[in-house]
Amino acid sequence: MRQALQRFEAVCDAPLAYARALKAESGRRIIGVLPMQFPLELAHAAGALPVILQEDREPITVGQSQVFTFYCGYNRSLTDQLMRGEFDCLDAVLFGDHCVQLLATADVIRAHLPNTPILFNQLISSLAAPWAMEETRNTFRQLWSELEELIGRPIAAADAARSIRLYNRDRQLMRAAFDLRREGRLNLTGRQMQLIVKSGMIMDVEAHIALLEEIVGAAAPTPAPETGVRVYLSGHYCQAPKPEILDVIEECGGHIVDDDLYHGFRFISTDMDETLEPVEALARWYLERNLRAPCATLSDERADWDDFLLDAVGKARAQGLIILQVKYCEPHMYYYPEIKEAFDQRAIPHLLIETEHEQMPLEALKTRVETFLEIARRRAA
Amino acid sequence: MTNLIAEAPFKDNPAAPAYGTGERADRLKATRHGGKLVNDYWADLFAAKQEGRKVVWYNGTHIPPFFQAHGLAWVHGEAWSAYLAAKHGEAPAQKAGEARGYDRELCSYARTHLGQAILSIKAAQEGVAGGADDARSLTMAKLPMPDMIVNAYPYCSSGQQWDDMVYRMFGKKIPIFNVSVPLLWGGRKDAGYLSGSEWEERSDYVSKQLRALAAFLEENTGRKFDWDRLSEAMSYIKRAAELRLECFDLCEARPAPATFFDWIASIAHLNFMPGTQAIVDYFQMLRDEIAGRVARGEGAVKNEKYRLFFDGMMNWNRVGWLADKFASVGASVVAGRYTHMAFWQEPGLIDVNDPVRGMAQNYLICPNNHGAPIMIEQINRLCDKFAVDGLVMHVSRPCRGMTNQQFLIADAAKRRGRQSLFFEGDVADDSFYKDELLNTRLEAMIESMDAQRRAA
Ligand code: SF4
Ligand code: SF4
Repeated sequence: MRQALQRFEAVCDAPLAYARALKAESGRRIIGVLPMQFPLELAHAAGALPVILQEDREPITVGQSQVFTFYCGYNRSLTDQLMRGEFDCLDAVLFGDHCVQLLATADVIRAHLPNTPILFNQLISSLAAPWAMEETRNTFRQLWSELEELIGRPIAAADAARSIRLYNRDRQLMRAAFDLRREGRLNLTGRQMQLIVKSGMIMDVEAHIALLEEIVGAAAPTPAPETGVRVYLSGHYCQAPKPEILDVIEECGGHIVDDDLYHGFRFISTDMDETLEPVEALARWYLERNLRAPCATLSDERADWDDFLLDAVGKARAQGLIILQVKYCEPHMYYYPEIKEAFDQRAIPHLLIETEHEQMPLEALKTRVETFLEIARRRAA
Repeated sequence: MTNLIAEAPFKDNPAAPAYGTGERADRLKATRHGGKLVNDYWADLFAAKQEGRKVVWYNGTHIPPFFQAHGLAWVHGEAWSAYLAAKHGEAPAQKAGEARGYDRELCSYARTHLGQAILSIKAAQEGVAGGADDARSLTMAKLPMPDMIVNAYPYCSSGQQWDDMVYRMFGKKIPIFNVSVPLLWGGRKDAGYLSGSEWEERSDYVSKQLRALAAFLEENTGRKFDWDRLSEAMSYIKRAAELRLECFDLCEARPAPATFFDWIASIAHLNFMPGTQAIVDYFQMLRDEIAGRVARGEGAVKNEKYRLFFDGMMNWNRVGWLADKFASVGASVVAGRYTHMAFWQEPGLIDVNDPVRGMAQNYLICPNNHGAPIMIEQINRLCDKFAVDGLVMHVSRPCRGMTNQQFLIADAAKRRGRQSLFFEGDVADDSFYKDELLNTRLEAMIESMDAQRRAA
């Protein structure tokens, strides 16, 4: 298990170096994918390595000429990586999500990588609309044909079906790791859990499955005794929270039992129906996953993030909720008051932590987390 | 997207900004009449419930002809927030929003409107009108509560989320309808301004949703939708929009007879007011007055020395202030993205006998709903048409919808030899505006425009 985690760590520390090496070795195209709703399956079926582009740790320097300081760290980091030439290795970029800030980045990438195809196909964001299904199917059909144009040959339905099966398997294993952690049979820290999911956004899916099998196979037959205050983590769209923040929560006596982070359960919440024709499976997957982990970037009368969280926190027997909010993340900021009210009404302790791309003062954070965990512990007693 | 009002244009400015020569912009007389029309609209809205009309709260593009055709009253959330800001009455609503946890970095239109919803719901629950004792609360208390919510927001995810939050705030009990207006990314080989397969597909898609919107209105009122009334409303809107374009054309003259700030004062009429003869008459008045100025060689700015393009949303707290600031340095702001690339700017697309597709198309081309290449092409076209020397980029801080492409726009302008300056401000939260910064940057831009001229 240790070796598998080390491999994941190496990939997560330098995602594009991993992709470049794989390209050099196998000749596969690298397709950069933007979060949070776009599936990787079709790009994989096109023979490419799909890589969800990640925030990196470099300070924003050259990127400042193309992005304002009041944009979220993810967009600023992407712009900076672009201007540093990091994305020159990409053979195509694929998105689009419904966040206004990402649209800026889309245009900046297009302007600075004029020879790189941008396969921009905006998914409908109003999920309860009567035409949502048809529109989503059309979007994936269009993407399918654009990918075919990119690779200069048709993509066989059987290849798409195979990719769907592989990514389902990968998601199932990641969910199994989540379940085992929640049960106390797999001792994984927040940092390690993040490595498992984040590497799944980057690595060749078959290689990822093989390493994950090792990890899941190492689960203990019975739960370890519980220690610490059970904590549920929520939020943090598009980018992985800095592992140091997760460390602080654990060092202060928190026991992270579950989450709905994008670099967590949100990414793996839903499988595609393998019995359906691929476009149909992709479309259903897109419309259904918001019911399993509601996302504030989408408008959906059928789903309530606050209710989902109350339920999830209850199921995980968490004693408190820690909300990690990316600074300047508008979708999350709009929804936060709903969650706050719901948790206040039920007197469930919750703490909002705003995260930044730049280094955060961890000492101050520690004090806040300690106080919060103390309150959660007392309330649960 | 964008928007706007101006109950009484330029009123925010009792004293000219202490900068430049002290010259002030010469406002068009017709805008006073325009201000009265806007006031009439609000008065009519405030009386809607007493008159038994249902009220729609909506955000986004120019959807009201559908409401007008169906005999409804409507509140444009952005317009309402801008109305409060222009009257300096936004603070109570923004405070209420802040108290519920809406961050200051969120769109200030949304924060103001959500704050208004919080106060209105509270007032209704407590059976009192507003917060009562100050004039600002009394204004807010006049706003009728929604019977339906419609969202039709091109480009900006904030626009859609904002209505989603209003819907949730009212306990998901008020019916909501979302019109998706997708971005015109312009990535296909055949993509062009108003052309290409994406354009055709998107036009069909939005048209289909607009027909469904009519069905939604029928369902929630129990009455049949009157398509003839829609045509009638659109015939006035189309004519008014054509007259506005004629006005724009007249402003190619040197000196320019009217400026961006005059067009700001006449946005409401095409953005959310009913399509009637009154708006046609208003734009006819504007046209006649402008034609008179051209004939007499009069400019809106005395001694026009520079011609500028304004990019970004309007700062509603500072309309007159900014108009005078630019006038005082001899700069005529002749055009803008917000004014010239929105509000039925392509009336030729509308067939009044069957207006839906042309309406959908005008909704699609809101000023930020193009991918950067086509948007920039349109901005360049305007800058050439109006012989612009430089660009003023208003970085409306919490509005990513309008700031998104601003670096690319400024870069493109630079490649064509045009200067640009950036200044921070906002649509409805004045705390983001820093006067000193704008003064310094304007001075620097003027110096470099002068240097450029000397070198030419
Ligand atoms: S959803 Fe939030 S984190 Fe993601 S791009 Fe938008 S603002 Fe940034
Ligand atoms: S952020 Fe800007 S474009 Fe978006 S809803 Fe607010 S005012 Fe409109």
